[in-house]
Amino acid sequence: MIDFNTYMDNLHKNISSYAPQKTEQPELYESLFKPKDIYRIPLDEAEKMQLKTIKAAFIHHYNNNPFYHNFCKEHSITPEDIKTNDDLTKIPLIPDKFFKDYPEGKEYATWIANIYTGELPKIVIKQKKPTYDDVIDAFHEAGIYVTYSSGTGGRHTFIPRDKTTFLNAEYTLAKSLVPMIYPLWKHDSYGYLLMPNPKLNFIFAGKALEIYFDAVKNVEVAIDRKINTELIEMTMHGKKGLKSKIVRHIASKGAKNMIDDIIDWLEVRDKANDTITLVGAPYILYAVMEKLKQQGRSFNFGERGGVATGGGWKIHEHKRMPVSDFRKEVKDVLGIPEKFCLDIYGMVEGNGWLTQCPEGHYLHAPYSFYKPLVLDEEFKPAEYGEWGQYAFLDGAARSYPGFIVTGDKVRLLKRCPVCDRPGPVLEPEVKRVKGADVRGCAEEVRRMLTSDLGD
Amino acid sequence: MMSFHEMKDKDYIPQKTQLMMMIGGGFGLAKTLLLNLSDLKKLRIIPPNSERYIRPTRPYDLPSFESSMKLCVSEEKYLRPTLHCDHHEPEVIALAHQLGAYKKTDKEFAEDAFHFVKENMTLEIIAFNPVSETIKRGTGTCIHLISVFIALCRAAGIKARYKMFAMNMIKAWYDAVVDVDPLVKKWYDSMGYFMIEGEGEIYIDGEWIVAHVGPKAERQAAAGIPITKFGEDSLGRWFFAIPGSIMVMESIPFGLAGAIRGLSKIAPGSMERVNISIQKQIASGKKIIADAGGVEAYDKNAREKMEIKQPTLQLQTKDEIVFS
Repeated sequence: MIDFNTYMDNLHKNISSYAPQKTEQPELYESLFKPKDIYRIPLDEAEKMQLKTIKAAFIHHYNNNPFYHNFCKEHSITPEDIKTNDDLTKIPLIPDKFFKDYPEGKEYATWIANIYTGELPKIVIKQKKPTYDDVIDAFHEAGIYVTYSSGTGGRHTFIPRDKTTFLNAEYTLAKSLVPMIYPLWKHDSYGYLLMPNPKLNFIFAGKALEIYFDAVKNVEVAIDRKINTELIEMTMHGKKGLKSKIVRHIASKGAKNMIDDIIDWLEVRDKANDTITLVGAPYILYAVMEKLKQQGRSFNFGERGGVATGGGWKIHEHKRMPVSDFRKEVKDVLGIPEKFCLDIYGMVEGNGWLTQCPEGHYLHAPYSFYKPLVLDEEFKPAEYGEWGQYAFLDGAARSYPGFIVTGDKVRLLKRCPVCDRPGPVLEPEVKRVKGADVRGCAEEVRRMLTSDLGD
Repeated sequence: MMSFHEMKDKDYIPQKTQLMMMIGGGFGLAKTLLLNLSDLKKLRIIPPNSERYIRPTRPYDLPSFESSMKLCVSEEKYLRPTLHCDHHEPEVIALAHQLGAYKKTDKEFAEDAFHFVKENMTLEIIAFNPVSETIKRGTGTCIHLISVFIALCRAAGIKARYKMFAMNMIKAWYDAVVDVDPLVKKWYDSMGYFMIEGEGEIYIDGEWIVAHVGPKAERQAAAGIPITKFGEDSLGRWFFAIPGSIMVMESIPFGLAGAIRGLSKIAPGSMERVNISIQKQIASGKKIIADAGGVEAYDKNAREKMEIKQPTLQLQTKDEIVFS
């Protein structure tokens, strides 16, 4: 079996172009790039890295983002107030709803520009009445990725990422998942991305997985079409009209073929004894497994196969499948062991990914550059073991302040009760707080495909 | 008989947005029912020995009507009777007078009418009816309750109108109102949002003031959100409307009543299940309020929780953005 250091060196060879540069982001270079396994950094070392990285990010946003600077002034917080790890909780947190409160048309472009940290490149918008997609395309031409998510509450969350931040999001994802599936990953293997094609889309459900194409040699994509905000409105929000109907009809046909294509791919890969990974929305894999069960078929990939899911666990209109049931089904139908069936918890507002450990399936935080917090009812940090509202301080966000309060309800533990990794973990069950809308990027994909599949 | 022009003037003819939503809702419902005929057969009635919906007792007495009571008979827009909202009905006039019509300032009266409806009337999914019946029963959909508020204000000579919109429900309401019945759930999920939600608006001192009378305090407490005050808009605070779906109108339009009547005929069991769940939601909210030490204490606490400070963003033109 390949040793862990060589395994991670091999990963680095394939994704080095995504890694933070020492000259540009020295703190993140130390806390994210240098450690071979970001989940096994001794706590005292990690805490120093965490303080340096998050403080550097805070200083950057404090100095370069007028709205956040004013917000800090309202809280009477300056970078001088942040001296220890405990002080990090003084950093003013932005409710995730803030990123949903955007105007339309030309003002939408100005809104993106106003929440952006740093100097903007020149962005030319040609349309008289630009749509969201027109603005997103114009920013992209100038090198800024306006990623978005969660149309499930009727409003998207829009986050502008410069190239550095976007690469950080991708790199952290690979660096979070690959050590957890050791020794499964290898470049010369086959992958199936169960999300919209990130090369065509800005929806964050999938966009950060562009790195998958460099980490794995042969990758297929389940939803290989452009999905913009207009299409999401048509497929998910029941937008009416002939155009919408045609779009839905085509999408429906495509979605049914998609399931068959994945089954065909599994068959070929199984016969060739290939190593495979399936990464993305659990709903798609669930649909594949249901079809295989209907056909009375199964595979036995064993330790040649891995599954990484993300975005929520609403599998069907009637049920929210427990993650453990899903893992069991993956084992029964695809023959992939539970240790290689892991869930990842992330969101469009963040660049850190909490990844399940293979031993206990607790969600491990990348604590050297990212601080997970649980807030009590008064929005103050709660003790470990308490249920509360999830918040985080993200040291990898450069183009927007990544100090966020989410609408998720979680329980944070000081360390994993099962494995020996030293950092904090979330219990696998993530809920929505009362008053928050139903969301999750896999929920978006699920609803889009539910409509496509005519379920 | 009313002319087409009059119907249009009174907003009886649905606005384009609403028409599209109603057609979409109708198709969504028809598709859900047709594709789930076996479910429909099972779910359309509540099986014997199952829990049944018991309408809550009306918590107020009906005041007596006297023919000497002053009434607004203006035919001006927003002051005249409209579909399912005839403020000339004796029950409306009597209640308006009990609440202080023509004795209080417009704002004081409207605020008291708001509190009366919000605190005394209960959500029940039921077919549309004249506003007097809603007052006698004490329950109705959010549109019934808005109609009572509007009728009371018009009876007191205050212009009033409907504000309607489509929105995605917050999770707690989804769990209580949608998730409890498979048919309703399929319908909701096929639409992506509930057909309609609304608020009332009254015109005082040159401005329209919003009144979110639909959810009573207990339902808002069960959902974990603050209790909406008079003049406070739920939109943009704890709800977000589907973009482009907000409409204001003088009347409930034609067609809306038929949709609910149709559903009550086709799937009465589904409606009953939703009503049972609403009662449970209210009971749970009642406990939450009691545990918090009363409505005011709950509300203060909920606002503190909801109102984590947001950054203020004043949009400033950026030279780097070029509109060509």
